Amino acid sequence: MRTSLPQGRRQFIKSALGTASALTLAKIAPAWAYPTGRSYGDVIHADQAVDLVIRRENQTIAGLSGRPITINGSMPGPLIRLKEGQRARLNVTNGLNEDTSIHWHGIILPENMDGVPGVSFPGIKPGETFHYEYEVQQNGTYWYHSHSGLQEQLGHLGPLVIDSADGDIGADREHVIILSDWTFEDPYEVFRNLTVAEGYYNYQQRTLGDTLADIRRQGIAKTWEERAMWNRMRMSARDILDVTGSTYTYLINGRDNATNWTALYKPGEQVRLRVINGSAMSFFDFRIPGLEMTVVSADGQPVKPVTVDEFRIGVAETYDVIVTPQGNRPYTLFAESMDRSGYVRGTLATQLGQAAPVPELRPVPERGMAAMGMSHAMGDMQSSGSESSMEDHAAMSHRPGPMTSGRQRPSAPDLGIQHAPGGHGPAAAMIARNPVSRLNEPGVGLEDVGHRVLVYGDLVGAHPWPDEREPARNIELHLTGNMEKYMWSFDGEKYSEVDGPVAFRHGERLRLIMVNDTMMDHPIHLHGMWMELENGHYPRPRKHTISLKPSEVVSLQISADALGSWAFHCHLLYHMKAGMFRVVNVS
Amino acid sequence: MRTLKMLMSLSLAGMSVPLFAGHAEDNWPEPIKAYRTGQLLFDRLEITRTENDENLIVWDMLAWYGGDRNRIYFKSEGENRSDDGEPTELESVELLASRLIAPFWEIQGGAGTRGSVASGAERENYLVFSLFGMAPYRLEMDNSITVNEDGDIAASIEAEYDIRLSQVSYLQPRLEVEAALTDAEEYDRPSGFNNVRVGLRYRYELSREFAPYIGVYWSRALSDKAEQIRAQGGDESEIGVVVGVRMWF
Repeated sequence: MRTSLPQGRRQFIKSALGTASALTLAKIAPAWAYPTGRSYGDVIHADQAVDLVIRRENQTIAGLSGRPITINGSMPGPLIRLKEGQRARLNVTNGLNEDTSIHWHGIILPENMDGVPGVSFPGIKPGETFHYEYEVQQNGTYWYHSHSGLQEQLGHLGPLVIDSADGDIGADREHVIILSDWTFEDPYEVFRNLTVAEGYYNYQQRTLGDTLADIRRQGIAKTWEERAMWNRMRMSARDILDVTGSTYTYLINGRDNATNWTALYKPGEQVRLRVINGSAMSFFDFRIPGLEMTVVSADGQPVKPVTVDEFRIGVAETYDVIVTPQGNRPYTLFAESMDRSGYVRGTLATQLGQAAPVPELRPVPERGMAAMGMSHAMGDMQSSGSESSMEDHAAMSHRPGPMTSGRQRPSAPDLGIQHAPGGHGPAAAMIARNPVSRLNEPGVGLEDVGHRVLVYGDLVGAHPWPDEREPARNIELHLTGNMEKYMWSFDGEKYSEVDGPVAFRHGERLRLIMVNDTMMDHPIHLHGMWMELENGHYPRPRKHTISLKPSEVVSLQISADALGSWAFHCHLLYHMKAGMFRVVNVS
Repeated sequence: MRTLKMLMSLSLAGMSVPLFAGHAEDNWPEPIKAYRTGQLLFDRLEITRTENDENLIVWDMLAWYGGDRNRIYFKSEGENRSDDGEPTELESVELLASRLIAPFWEIQGGAGTRGSVASGAERENYLVFSLFGMAPYRLEMDNSITVNEDGDIAASIEAEYDIRLSQVSYLQPRLEVEAALTDAEEYDRPSGFNNVRVGLRYRYELSREFAPYIGVYWSRALSDKAEQIRAQGGDESEIGVVVGVRMWF
């Protein structure tokens, strides 16, 4: 697979790297993230077996001494590059003093190669080597990570890119961008803090000052009405992310803001950015000020091109975008955490050492009434604040803008949602009284940004998928939570409380309906099978991870074609740990 | 005590029921294990100076261990008046089993004792049932009913509310009401409302775990209890200032 470099590219590298010694380069970028992008540098190639060694070792992270889990000496781990149609052979050696595992996120493979301890295999014991082997039946941008304990939070993750059989990357150059969140705290301490002290990491709560300002702006009655709604529910409109920039250092390809990871381009080139959210708990809003992005792939699967200025990427999702930077100038790659408590930036430049202005963090967003599932019931609340009016469903469906005008509006499916009688018990602090489709909303904090933001409703599959049967039955699952006790579950029961797997019949086509009965966004991941999102478009986009907004209902079509047991869970690491996890059994 | 033991064993049984939700060989680990943790919280650990220039050390603490639904609690409140030669006064020492019955409410049952630390004879042993949790509008509450060995029934309500001034500082009003449903002459608790205590504290978090505070309180005896105190020549109301720390581990 190693090819000789075209003459033009060789020249390009020479000029671009002229000022930086090889030594400097090695310091600022992991081996696979060389600024020149694809095909250059120490990329692991697919034709031979890949050996991966997992260790815990001291490394400098953002200028401080940390102790991440490394894979072949780097955190995040190396870029693994496979090719569609090949047989992947990956030998993972555990150099830790506890069990470990690697899950190949989004890859269709046999049950025993999926890498979830207790579901697909027993895990990898210290000192042991596990031999993963499977046929690669797909291409696109994916990633891999530990499925053991909280190891993912320690950086046990890396990018996985699969070239199409013909090797075409659909652009002149490509860069892989994996975003992650690093904390110097012990992940188990983070989990305990969340469990025993609600809001431990949230330093963006409403204060008395905010209340007084609201009273001045909109009067006491309206302010009371708003506050009362949230306070009666004992919830916070500013609960956006559980773990925030107060402990996290956000990383781009393992590098912090000061390091300024840089990707190089030549003016006029089409550059493919493969963006992966490999973080434990952080949704990011990704944009490149001054540059529009054409989304061509979601979760590794091709979609009809849609041009946007910004996209929100849930934990574990991937998006491929094509950009055409011009003018021989640097652009900032800007990934802002959804709660605006921090960001990470890199630079897209023609030369190393360049930087462009870094945008300021935008104001802390607040959840509106739509988050409570009250968008219809609470008509009188629509104008009670910019967020609530923007999040109002009726308002959203008339959202103006070039991106949405004239396009078919996916309608909220009439799915006959059932809540368990009396709710879901103490594990569910809220029931979405009126769940709606929110696929056309950009999400909290992005309502008023004044430029094009990707929504799920924009995604159209690039081509039809093989199984076109109508689903023969529906399975309904509710996402439930209790922030105060940090309980997270499906249907009010955490994993340790349910008495059996979710049963799929082998070969059936089914519809999975999910209702988010919580105030948080959740990225829900199904292992082993694709989920085709019913967003009103044909072909449907298909995803391995689907993010649900508060009080949202989504429906997905699934072909139960993968025999065996598969993990199904919220990909927020501490939600999974708390029990928002199920096993799906296909038999 | 028998009730307590029963409650505790029930609660422990609830904590350790192994359930199987996935596919796994016998020797495979569970993909997600039930999680238990605990906390030691001193909600108030303070020095009080009364209007009569008396100094008191006051504590109000709890410790718990368990999962989301079932927990064991140890709670204690009390005070030590310095330089009065008297032993430490326990307002309560309780061991309770707790069960989450609603998203924000735990029902708790157990046994406790109150009185002087020095002499067991002066102590009052009782059974206690509490409704512990957060009421709408984010009021932190601990409401208890106690029944002592003589069958005397008493009730108390404690409520706290945090007004957030900044991301690390709070103004906390606090209300405590004590009442007796039956006359308990031995323990100076006439039937009816006995006491109300209102406090206001300003707390500053040096970390989430460690937050010093200053504050004031006003306490007043009510109805029969007030008469009793007046008859003994005492003050039915008291004002004081406090300096203390809220901390947890």
